[in-house]
Amino acid sequence: MSFFANTQELEMVMKGLWTAIKEDPDIAGPLIKSGLVVRFHYREPEGRLTVDCSDNQNMVIIWGECDIKPDVEMFMKSEVAHEFWRGAVSVPMYLIAGKIVAKGPVNQALSLLPAIKPAFKKYPDVVQQTLNRTLVSK
Amino acid sequence: MNPFIFNCPTKVCFAEGSSSSVAEHLADLGAKSPFLITDEFLLKNNIIAPALSALEERFGKVSIYSDVPPDSDLECINKVAKNAKDAGADSIVAIGGGSVIDTAKVVNICLTLGGDILSHQGLNAIETKLFPLIVIPTTAGTGSEVSYVAMIKHHVEKRKIVFGSKFLAPDIALLDPMMQLTLPAKLTAATGMDALTHAIESVVCEITGSSFSDALATEAARMIFKWLPVATADGGDLEARSNMLVASCMAGSAFSNAGVGIVHALAHSTGARFNTHHGLTNAIFLPHGMRFNQSVAQAKYAQLSRQLGFSKTLDDNEGTATLIDSVENLLKQLNLPSRLELIGVPKLNESELQQWANDAVDDPSTMFNPKELTVQDAIEIYKRAY
Repeated sequence: MSFFANTQELEMVMKGLWTAIKEDPDIAGPLIKSGLVVRFHYREPEGRLTVDCSDNQNMVIIWGECDIKPDVEMFMKSEVAHEFWRGAVSVPMYLIAGKIVAKGPVNQALSLLPAIKPAFKKYPDVVQQTLNRTLVSK
Repeated sequence: MNPFIFNCPTKVCFAEGSSSSVAEHLADLGAKSPFLITDEFLLKNNIIAPALSALEERFGKVSIYSDVPPDSDLECINKVAKNAKDAGADSIVAIGGGSVIDTAKVVNICLTLGGDILSHQGLNAIETKLFPLIVIPTTAGTGSEVSYVAMIKHHVEKRKIVFGSKFLAPDIALLDPMMQLTLPAKLTAATGMDALTHAIESVVCEITGSSFSDALATEAARMIFKWLPVATADGGDLEARSNMLVASCMAGSAFSNAGVGIVHALAHSTGARFNTHHGLTNAIFLPHGMRFNQSVAQAKYAQLSRQLGFSKTLDDNEGTATLIDSVENLLKQLNLPSRLELIGVPKLNESELQQWANDAVDDPSTMFNPKELTVQDAIEIYKRAY
């Protein structure tokens, strides 16, 4: 069973998390510098989030459908996203297992992984604030 | 024990002269109109003759593309894919080294799925079975005959494009040592060092490695240390060629499951810029990469050193040092260059070095490495390897 009961919960948490990332220049800086547009496709429950850093100045976070053409698209179950942000996912292992699908120039996208790792610490607070749930650390 | 996944979807057939069984295997896969991808040297020197005549006997006239460059690029892919489509191909046979085999894998995507090839780049982005693909490696090094990955150069942007999916793995790999008898000594040595790098790097991929990949990598390394000098000294030694062919395939299966590490990352960044030979570049970086990883991977290196009979000590530092010495001695024995300068890499200024190091750090191979690589680490390794 997924941690997220429905799309609304998924949206609240993911938007909340990315907003927190955007507000932290140490984490947002390398992402903005990359100039990438990354789209996350979640399933079970469904959701779509686009992070647009294409102007190298700002990070724009869009939930749902949008016309912006992504450079990289990541496909995964919402539960995988949840486990990822908890820091409990080995990305190489999940890629080998096919649990994460990455379309586009993956070199650039994967190179951002170390940059977003500090956001793992923000995730429990975001979940607490948005869903009023406490995460037990793994 | 860590959780792991081990896959080897490719059927591997080894026999002297097995290339002539290609038509029979292809027919078993339901193919009716195969397309053959190879290189000019193999075609001109009749090395592909046994396979080609078997194919023509079974399927009639076979369309061939033989102009694959040593480091295949998008331009080549588009050309080959068009030829294959025009010929009405429903299957592919690749006879050649890593570049030919990777070209065949990517052409197979175009042929089966159509569309812009760049729209298929990525990891696990291909989610359906492709047309039958049989590969006959003519070098012993890349492991591409059993891997799920293909790397192609973007000829305009000068970067590597990665395709990775279990559906990219060839259906059948025919290992025929007779196909390797004309491989020049230098190429034998350099491609063999590529295979050794696969074996050694995969052993220290802690997260994704397993007893399965370790067993294949260890035995591959043992065979390579024993037989690579023999195959290099006497290209006509069929026993040495056979052992190298099998070892390379085993190392290929090991790294396809466990991954490779920073040695490949550094070699990819170097090769993309200066067109250096992949195996040779790996060979130069291998001892440096091992020294870099030593602080976190010495137990695995030392274990490998003991398994290969290089050391008996239980001191991991000493065991690792012995393994690194053995790699360096092998390089000397093979008469391969040990510094980047000797393979035509120019001395980079600070800004070029920074860019080169950025690309190495961004390479997906670093994801599997047991120790994180920083830009500064990469620059220091470059300076030591130069």
